[in-house]
Amino acid sequence: MLTTDGPGKSLRARAKGEGSVKRYPIVLFLLAVTGSFALAKEHPGKAYIEKNGYHGPSTCEAQGCHPGTAKMFLGTVHWKHASPVGNVDNLTPGKEYGMKNRIYTMCNGNDIVNNLKEIPPNPKTGKTKFTGCNTCHPGNHISDVGSTGKDAENAIDCLVCHSLSYDFRLRQPYKDAAGRVVMGQDRSVKAALSVGKPGVKNCMVCHEAAGGGVLIKRGFAFTKETDVHAAKGMVCVDCHAAKDHRIPTGFDPNNWASDGVRVSCGDCHEASPHQDKDLNRHVARVACQTCHIPKTGGALAKDFTRWTQGPDGFFEPTTLRKEANETAPVYAWYNKTVTNTPTFIGPKGSRGDKESKIYPFKMYEGKAYFDRKTGKLLSMDFAPPMATGDTLAGVASAAKTLGIQEYDPVPGWQVIYFGSSHLVTKKRALSCENCHAPNGVLNFRALGYTEEEIRKLTSPELYFDKMAEKQKEDW
Amino acid sequence: MKRFAVVFLLFAVALAATVFVPASASADEIKMIGVITKIDISGPDAATATATLKDNKGGGLVTVIVNDELTLDKFKDHRIVVGDEIRLKYEVKDGKNVSKYFRKTAGC
Repeated sequence: MLTTDGPGKSLRARAKGEGSVKRYPIVLFLLAVTGSFALAKEHPGKAYIEKNGYHGPSTCEAQGCHPGTAKMFLGTVHWKHASPVGNVDNLTPGKEYGMKNRIYTMCNGNDIVNNLKEIPPNPKTGKTKFTGCNTCHPGNHISDVGSTGKDAENAIDCLVCHSLSYDFRLRQPYKDAAGRVVMGQDRSVKAALSVGKPGVKNCMVCHEAAGGGVLIKRGFAFTKETDVHAAKGMVCVDCHAAKDHRIPTGFDPNNWASDGVRVSCGDCHEASPHQDKDLNRHVARVACQTCHIPKTGGALAKDFTRWTQGPDGFFEPTTLRKEANETAPVYAWYNKTVTNTPTFIGPKGSRGDKESKIYPFKMYEGKAYFDRKTGKLLSMDFAPPMATGDTLAGVASAAKTLGIQEYDPVPGWQVIYFGSSHLVTKKRALSCENCHAPNGVLNFRALGYTEEEIRKLTSPELYFDKMAEKQKEDW
Repeated sequence: MKRFAVVFLLFAVALAATVFVPASASADEIKMIGVITKIDISGPDAATATATLKDNKGGGLVTVIVNDELTLDKFKDHRIVVGDEIRLKYEVKDGKNVSKYFRKTAGC
């Protein structure tokens, strides 16, 4: 790998020290050049917007700019919150899945059962508030997740992703004269005049606080302190580079919806990225993330059956949380297909499967209600428990929305393996002894190795001479 | 006996100091959760801000200096506003409270 956490080295020095990287120097050069242009050059249409104001997508598409973009955007995961999913067990063929309709224990609700709404008043304070999974949907809630047509096109909040001067005081839910819950937008000229490629903050507005709070779900911060790519000045869309607003994603076992385009380390980095041949041999069966993302973070467990009351009187699911880089991953073979059962969502794969590599995962455990009759996980509308702490009222509300008439709720746990593809480091990457010492991070037995193989894999014979040499060089 | 009384007195004073000295007098990190009552920031280019929080435990007001870029940016574009509940860690440096960690408690 070419990148480094350490400041002060020139790009050439890094490249020389770390072997070849496809397109990477060129990409960085272009980033620097286009970045400085982006700062210097204003987005076309300034005069038009100043004269006519900003009215949403119709302004973006005026004068022949961005024609058809709004209609195209309605077909993306960011609007639909769902897509066809081809690599996950036990799904209904032909049905689309995503945060629109999934039921799992990081969220336990979804856009349908936990639709943005005003929750009942808290009995103690009499206060209420707006909440819902689709709070982050880039529409106005009247045109909501998966909606189509002209109204939907006009409702797209282009600027929440593309403006660097968005005023988030305006992106708040409220009730209109008809009593409908509307999500506000900043459609000011000021916001419209600072449009461009989305920066880290544009993405993190939603992705940082998903799952119930800052860094709860994914557990990573994309900052220069926590990720080597961020330290280089890269932004999310440098890797997740969209085409027609279809945004490439990896194969996270718990992130099912995709726009059908994928991103991987190999898009920029060579198949043999290290100078050291021994390290390059690992690449065949060990994912880059395994060594270069040694830690995870975020929520490690949540209990949706027991909500905790905050000082404001409202309740939240009881959550065990950690910071970025504070938890250890679990390692497993993964062939990019997914086991999906009520009690486990995680990677499929094995040592014998040549499509499988060893990947690190963020392990998460969530407690929620299951239906004793069917064994299936039940969903929850957050409005009742948020107001009163009554979790079964939340289950009842969700069941009513979904047309489930009979169920017998019983608490239980679900284990989820989240993909771990951020918090990338070179400086703290795993070294030989981190895996090959007897107390190393890899559980070779669980990974399918025999006792004899484990004895060899955890012997210093494997790496002693190499590390002794390196030690001499380092000192 | 007199010596014993002196030793006992010294021990009691040391114990009292440990128990009763306010946390803010220590250089250690102090944690609290509270609601923002005021944010002072001088403008879009400001490199520092102050925020006043009402401590959920006891209701006392704590004013902290915020220097980290991420939080300052959230003040500037109003992703963090007065009324938000914050999980805060801060240190006392030269008599001033300096934020080390400033996060909204709420999620989606």
